[in-house]
Amino acid sequence: MTTNKPLIESEASAVTPAAGEVTPTTRPLRIAVETLIENKAALAGVIVIVAMLGFSFIGPLFYHTNQITTNLPASLHAPDGAHPLGTDNEGYDVLGRLMIAGQSSLEVGLAAAAVATIIGVFYGAVSGFGGGIVDGIMMRLVDGLLAIPTIFLLVFLFTVYQASTLLLVLVIGLVAWLVPARLVRAETLSLRTREYVQAVRVIGGTNRRMIIRHIIPNAVGTIMVNATFQVADAILALASLGFLGLGVQPPATNWGAMLSTGINYVYAGDWWLIYPAGIAILLTVMAFNAVGDGLRDVFEVRLQRR
Amino acid sequence: MLSYSLRRTGQGLVVVIIVSFLTFIEAHLLPGNPARAILGVHASQAQIQAFDIENGYNKSLPLQYVNYLDRLIHGNLGFSYQLNQSVVALLSERLPATVVLVGLSVIVALLLMVPVAILQAARRNTAVDYALTGIAFVLYAMPEFWLGLMLIMLFAEKVRLFPPVAPQGNVPQILAHPAGLVLPVATLALGSLAVFTRYLRSSLLDNLTEDYVRTARAKGAGTWRVMFGHVFRNALLPVITLVGLSLPGILGGALITESVFNYPGMGLLFWNSALSQDYPVLLGVTMVVGLATIVGNLIADLLYAAADPRVRYLRQ
Repeated sequence: MTTNKPLIESEASAVTPAAGEVTPTTRPLRIAVETLIENKAALAGVIVIVAMLGFSFIGPLFYHTNQITTNLPASLHAPDGAHPLGTDNEGYDVLGRLMIAGQSSLEVGLAAAAVATIIGVFYGAVSGFGGGIVDGIMMRLVDGLLAIPTIFLLVFLFTVYQASTLLLVLVIGLVAWLVPARLVRAETLSLRTREYVQAVRVIGGTNRRMIIRHIIPNAVGTIMVNATFQVADAILALASLGFLGLGVQPPATNWGAMLSTGINYVYAGDWWLIYPAGIAILLTVMAFNAVGDGLRDVFEVRLQRR
Repeated sequence: MLSYSLRRTGQGLVVVIIVSFLTFIEAHLLPGNPARAILGVHASQAQIQAFDIENGYNKSLPLQYVNYLDRLIHGNLGFSYQLNQSVVALLSERLPATVVLVGLSVIVALLLMVPVAILQAARRNTAVDYALTGIAFVLYAMPEFWLGLMLIMLFAEKVRLFPPVAPQGNVPQILAHPAGLVLPVATLALGSLAVFTRYLRSSLLDNLTEDYVRTARAKGAGTWRVMFGHVFRNALLPVITLVGLSLPGILGGALITESVFNYPGMGLLFWNSALSQDYPVLLGVTMVVGLATIVGNLIADLLYAAADPRVRYLRQ
């Protein structure tokens, strides 16, 4: 979960540009491509992510299954020619269900990571830039929220509210922005004392301009690395919620929700209810982590070269 | 040390107050009004009014918060109308069970971390190092519930080594059946192990480049002597902080692990209360979990400062 990461990531954030150059906004993309060439694990990660997106979104166009209505007479079939991965307890084809579940897992994962990153970046930048009492209050709020484990907050909120995709994205994003906020704040604290940021103030630039045009672009490495990890975390959070039977309205599903039915058949040895969805989560999360690690290496190397 | 401890405890208290504020806000996120949410749809208007007056919900929000804090200080976490028990009474059984599960898992993870990380650091960039890094990478990405399911399939269903369900009852009853603890503890420990080894390995490698290592080598100390006599003790220090910072993740993992193995801890209580929409329990447990994290972090920081005097001077 998110909470395991800050310590490891802070190594990246500790390294900041030595001089006052502003990173042109086109550069991160080029760096991202460089990553692919330099880092094999990251390349494998990108391939897995693309494959998962293709499997989930393009797969159903070629592999037609009924994922709307239950078919109880056909439930719990072991894999055979008609159902390559068997059927689940409600008669849904598991392979087809894996695709539908993948759609919501990836959609929610990517969107929630975007929400978390956007909130975190602005919160962190404002807090670090404001300094003093503003910073103190804003960061103590982050400390307080970080003290409550994410999954407890998520379980509570989905007990109170009916699940929908939009709400999942917002809620997972809203509990996950704390780490990017801390990272960006740390970067801002060091960036705002730089001469070139001071110079903006001298020539009459507004605070908003300093944050948007100078501080955030310079923290973009840290932000991108964290955003990648955020996707992995969001997919895991959604899976955990689904496993606990929250955040899903049938017939909708996600990879975690698929596993929550699997637990009832684990003693019967119905492996096709356990392995496919679990492997899908594992591969996807590993892929995003690998890309994040790769990006971090590239950004650190880039900074060391200066 | 005393001034550092006081300052650090003060910071912890501030965070406790913020967590209590967040829990207070959570209570007001409940659908309709808290009385309706807690007493259920069948409660009469008179019952709701009585509840509002008893819990001060008819007062202004700031005053309600002060009352809430007052109740917290007096150890009142609310009352579960569904289970007809106070939340504190419910937790008095469940919290120790979770402490046992989390404590054992952290100990197991720390014990396994040492040989693995040392081996990796001593043989860095060899096949062994890469293989162990690979395993850590997989474990790190593996959801606890799936790991738990796999362990059940492998060690409870295929090979009937351990029971698939945790022992029930209070702490002495749980400890009386150690075999039932193996799979839940393993599930929770393996996830932390991945984080811990990765961190200790890089901490060891960082320390290996320090001047004191060169001095020790110059005096003729071998690889293992340098590793155990000098580097290991220094590299272990930051792990104390890491354990503290990992606590929310581990407690979250405990919620999942407890629900997989039906382990009678605080996480299972929380989940069951979520399914039955027992809000007082949800709010009470949230507060306690937050408190546990803060206290854990505080202990970790104080231990670190006690072990490494540089910290308490540096931070002044």
